[in-house]
Amino acid sequence: MAKSICIALREGALEGELAPTLTIKDSIASPFGLQVFDHVLSQLFSSILAGKSPSQGLILVSFSRSPSFYLELLKNKGINVASSDKRIHILDCYNDPLGWKDQIVEISSTVTVFREVKHMDKLFNSIIELGRGLVGGGKIRFSIAIDSVDEMLRRASVSSVARLLSNLRSHEQISSIFWLLHSDLHKARVTAVLEYLSSMVASLEPSHQLANGQRGDLENFALIEHNSKKGKFHVRFKKRNGRVHVMSEEVHMEQSGINFTPLTSEGAINQGLVPKVQFNLQLSEKERIDKANVVLPFEHQGDNGKPLQIYDGRRSLVDSKHERAVAVENVQTKEESESESESDRQRGEIIYYRDSDDEMPDSDEDPDDDLDI
Amino acid sequence: MAAAKTRASSFSRHLSTAAPSLGPGLKCGPNGTVLLSSGIPDLDKILGGGFPLGSLVMVMEDAEAPHHMLLLRNFMAQGLVHSQPLLYASPARDPRGFLGTLPSPAASKDDKSRGPEPDQEKGLRIAWQYKKYFGENQLNFDGQRDGKHEYSNEFNLRNPLERHFINGQRVDCVSIQDSPDLSILQDRCTTFLSQLPRNDGSISCAGRIAIQSFCSPQCVYSNMEWEMLSFIRSLKNMVRSSNSVAIITFPPSLLSPSFCKRWQHMADTLLSVKAIQDDDKELAQLLTGYQDMIGFLNVHKVARINTQVPLILEATTFSIKLQKRRYLVLECLNQAPVDGSSGNSDGTSGSCSSSSKTGNLDF
Repeated sequence: MAKSICIALREGALEGELAPTLTIKDSIASPFGLQVFDHVLSQLFSSILAGKSPSQGLILVSFSRSPSFYLELLKNKGINVASSDKRIHILDCYNDPLGWKDQIVEISSTVTVFREVKHMDKLFNSIIELGRGLVGGGKIRFSIAIDSVDEMLRRASVSSVARLLSNLRSHEQISSIFWLLHSDLHKARVTAVLEYLSSMVASLEPSHQLANGQRGDLENFALIEHNSKKGKFHVRFKKRNGRVHVMSEEVHMEQSGINFTPLTSEGAINQGLVPKVQFNLQLSEKERIDKANVVLPFEHQGDNGKPLQIYDGRRSLVDSKHERAVAVENVQTKEESESESESDRQRGEIIYYRDSDDEMPDSDEDPDDDLDI
Repeated sequence: MAAAKTRASSFSRHLSTAAPSLGPGLKCGPNGTVLLSSGIPDLDKILGGGFPLGSLVMVMEDAEAPHHMLLLRNFMAQGLVHSQPLLYASPARDPRGFLGTLPSPAASKDDKSRGPEPDQEKGLRIAWQYKKYFGENQLNFDGQRDGKHEYSNEFNLRNPLERHFINGQRVDCVSIQDSPDLSILQDRCTTFLSQLPRNDGSISCAGRIAIQSFCSPQCVYSNMEWEMLSFIRSLKNMVRSSNSVAIITFPPSLLSPSFCKRWQHMADTLLSVKAIQDDDKELAQLLTGYQDMIGFLNVHKVARINTQVPLILEATTFSIKLQKRRYLVLECLNQAPVDGSSGNSDGTSGSCSSSSKTGNLDF
């Protein structure tokens, strides 16, 4: 949800934490990245101006668009940059990134030209310096927006860009950072690196996947046209408790700008992780108490002080009609009892046929016969 | 038959007459290994006692969740509590700062209630018809041994470790961010491990090495894949011939697939942590206790030193929970009771056998 992103960026970092970092990722199939970037930028800057954020200023590092574009953009959104030039500063890496021109015409006081984009540490220092110039030193924080990380990656190695970004993230004066990335321009590893470094990843995807990428196909044409106006916006938040929050919206491109609406259809977004689960073999408290209350069959034997009776098949069986047991070690008694017939026993309710010809050979082992509950 | 059984086999193990005396925090394991605790009692139980000395543990991180830090914190804190020397390397500028986040051992055992699990075994009731002949000589299944308290501690993640544990120790911290290659880290590991040589006899102390986020992108050497691999190999060899355990965490998504596989093969014990999606209704239906889980831990490989017999675990996926938001526990995944009344045609009921989605988790 675009709103939650803006809120997260606005709120900034807690003490001792890394700054919330957003990667906006798009691709050729759904090329709204720049518009989303503009949207987030204007939202964040308005919150900064309105004082809703602990961040007191914004540094915009522009690589892929001219600073004047951004000044225009903010003006169109109704933000008066002239009066707010103490709150935003643009580091211009667009006009002369490699220092080829001898002279640069100053556009405005809010823009500083940067000429050494190959050197990430110099870029880092400039950003921090500008930020400090904007908000002062000490504990006051500022936010950073990087127009497009692709341009940085063109000129410097992945590890130096990663170092720059992680140093920015861990700098105590930085409240939040966000940047744009066109994922088609890079290897998968680079995208993975940038996602690793960010706490929120917003990716733009087409609402309808093209069949096989053939753009000339008539069927696909309609889809392409559809995709050029609409798309899906997925956000993955890495929350503080270690869980990942996934949200989705639909995004529409309109004349006035970009619109986010909740998803109309219930698409299956989350690929469910179905782990191998076992059945719960543990008992809850209530179940344990119930289990403890069950009286098991032979438990009461010998408890009440009754003399233990060993049934040995003879009449000496005493009045207790529940008792019938066979001595384990006495094999002879077993053989004896086998020859006995049941009519000898007058007491006891259990009628026991110890017939070796019995059709169920295990009947004398049948524990249910023994049960006295 | 009976005679053959009692005859000793022609192979007899040559055991030294006295068991080696072991320092604090160490215990004898199977096959002549010595174990030390991972700092998480549940993990020790799963792995068969702990990490064997001389093994290399690798933890595959999930880019979306910091659970590997929990494992590292417990591991390091356990070492400090037992006064075991520690070497910690991380890509942060100031790794010593991380030591301030280590947890302290839990106050006392009755501070937390682990549920009825240990008690169930003790009161095992058998309905046995011959019980009355044997009087009170009931077999007591005593699974709980209090001697373990010394070997492994429960850590309270809310309380920081007391300063004296950190200050008085041989604790060495290295920052690996700026070094152009791995030679500095290699040297530090070599000097650290040279203090802990292995020789037959008593082991007075064992050391721990913890390397966090080894191929983290901000490190200069992070694109030198072969160099990183040979560092791991040499570390593994050095650790094998010393009394120590090394744990390396790395994010596998930042490595090329072939190197990721190579690294996994290097490990003696291989674990991985995974994040959980918030508000995932399907997972909530499938598993009990979903609300309390913060992540999953997978055990891919368990170290088997001095033996060819593999350890086959009943379950390889465990849920990581924070009990009372303080104590790290690992639990088996339990299926939630299936609601028979919900006749969903799209098959979202919690049937574990007929799932059409292949998950990333281990089966």
